[in-house]
Amino acid sequence: MSSNDKMIRTKDLTFLEKIYLPEIVKGLFLTVRQMFKPKVTVQYPEERFEPPAQFRGRPVLVHENGVERCVACGLCSRVCPALAIEVQAAETPLDKERYPEKFEINMIRCIFCGFCEEVCPEEAIIMSNEYLLVFQSQEEAVFGKDKLLKSAEEMRPRLEFLRDHR
Amino acid sequence: MAVQTDELPRKSRILQALEDQNTSVQFDDALESEMVLNMGPQHPATHGVLRLLLKLDGETVTGCVPELGYLHRGYEKLAENCTYYEFIPHTDRLDYLSPLSNNVAYVLAVEKLIGMEAPPRAQYLRTLISELARISSHLLWLGSLAMDVGALTVFMWSFREREKMYDVFEHLVGARFTTSFTRIGGLAHDLLPDAEKMVRDFMKQFPEQLAECEKLLNRNRIFVERCDGIGLITAEQAIDLGLTGPSLRACGISHDLRKAQPYLIYNDLDFDVPVYEGGDTLARYYVRMGEIKQSISLVNQIMDRLPSGPIHAHEPKKVLPRKERVYTKMEELIHDFMIVNFGENPPVGEVYQAVEAPKGELGFYLNSDGKGYPWRLKIRSPSFTNLQSLPMLIQGAMISDVVAIIGSIDPVMGEADK
Repeated sequence: MSSNDKMIRTKDLTFLEKIYLPEIVKGLFLTVRQMFKPKVTVQYPEERFEPPAQFRGRPVLVHENGVERCVACGLCSRVCPALAIEVQAAETPLDKERYPEKFEINMIRCIFCGFCEEVCPEEAIIMSNEYLLVFQSQEEAVFGKDKLLKSAEEMRPRLEFLRDHR
Repeated sequence: MAVQTDELPRKSRILQALEDQNTSVQFDDALESEMVLNMGPQHPATHGVLRLLLKLDGETVTGCVPELGYLHRGYEKLAENCTYYEFIPHTDRLDYLSPLSNNVAYVLAVEKLIGMEAPPRAQYLRTLISELARISSHLLWLGSLAMDVGALTVFMWSFREREKMYDVFEHLVGARFTTSFTRIGGLAHDLLPDAEKMVRDFMKQFPEQLAECEKLLNRNRIFVERCDGIGLITAEQAIDLGLTGPSLRACGISHDLRKAQPYLIYNDLDFDVPVYEGGDTLARYYVRMGEIKQSISLVNQIMDRLPSGPIHAHEPKKVLPRKERVYTKMEELIHDFMIVNFGENPPVGEVYQAVEAPKGELGFYLNSDGKGYPWRLKIRSPSFTNLQSLPMLIQGAMISDVVAIIGSIDPVMGEADK
């Protein structure tokens, strides 16, 4: 193969390379040069990274004027590979007729695959850009509707991304 | 019993004391007895939960039994209770250093079973993500092999590059690690302009950074002497054991599935398969470095030729419909519910589809009985097969070389244990 680099084995090393001292100087030159290059580390608690719209953070439920879009069809809980979602439907006098009486996502089980968002026929459950999740107990990790609901305005970048690219 | 120190010029006091009491103590000669050493499953150099039982004669390894299964999650059985679509996130967790190649391999197998093909743009993007995954996987391997033989700087540098790569994935795929990007009949979403720019920018600066890593290793006496001539395997032995991937190509055999059974668009791309003679750790190092360079050229070729067009196959009963159609059209809404609830229902039959993953031949065997769930799913994972060669490679090596040899065959236990 023509593009192969030549393999350098022990016997191919020159005398200078074998005595190693000049090589140490060369190596140090390479590593010291790194000090003057721009740093790539993010100073985490002070500096936070802003995820792009396509980033899949924790799933949230979208509401408009306080009414969630969800109609409790249960498709998200059917498709969830980690069985993290529990939905209980009830009737409502509104146009959509059904709403989720109980909507819980166990954030310990959730694997952030985004399948719930992909199958949702109402654009009701979507992936937000939040990636900071802290719990102190297992009970706290089960997010009910109070923690899941977010207004459509807040979620605009993701909703626009979904409309244009999904 | 009081023993005077000055009365015992040669023997230690304790030996003298034992002799005085007429005990029958025998002292073993350390070189005549063999010792069994457990390496792993929590040893940092075994790259995951690999356990090795080593039989030692002094510092020389005279026997080795690898023990697998510490990360067994039963994915093959689990697949029988998942629809074809639901299993996609599980493939991320096989070879977790190159989840994108696993995603691609799995959907290619399912598409072969259904008998459909993704449109050209999706094929190009799948090739692109496979090659990016290869670079990212080989970068981790480079860092860990260098660290195993004591070169910590290369580890830092290759992880920095890998971090940049994950930033690219974040924009390209939407996740850093667990990608779940491919879909049956296409991809989750198209390549966005900002992601395209990031891939190009990364590819522009990456060759220079790789060259710096090479400068530290290629003519470094310590690295070369540590890797030269250890972990030897001949071409015949490698074929007998079913070795694939870079480890096979380091024995002088030019077998690469991208050339041998071209899939996706590899036929249209121009690339070489790096092959080296020797079958030792150093040869495997050169093969993988060559592969990274070939992948850079492949990514650049794909970015230049990327066609426009749809990224989903037009198969309404097999491929999830587009979102805006689900919201407005009745037919698509019904398909959405049917596909999610009852699955793709491919025809009765069986297929085997293999791709050249970074570690070797990754194959998915699917057996369908016409229902929504696979009747059987078998994963032919390269790490599992490559680990078979470990006893042969380690035989006769020094114990400090064991670490470098494990590093050179690049096992990932998520994939070996499934």
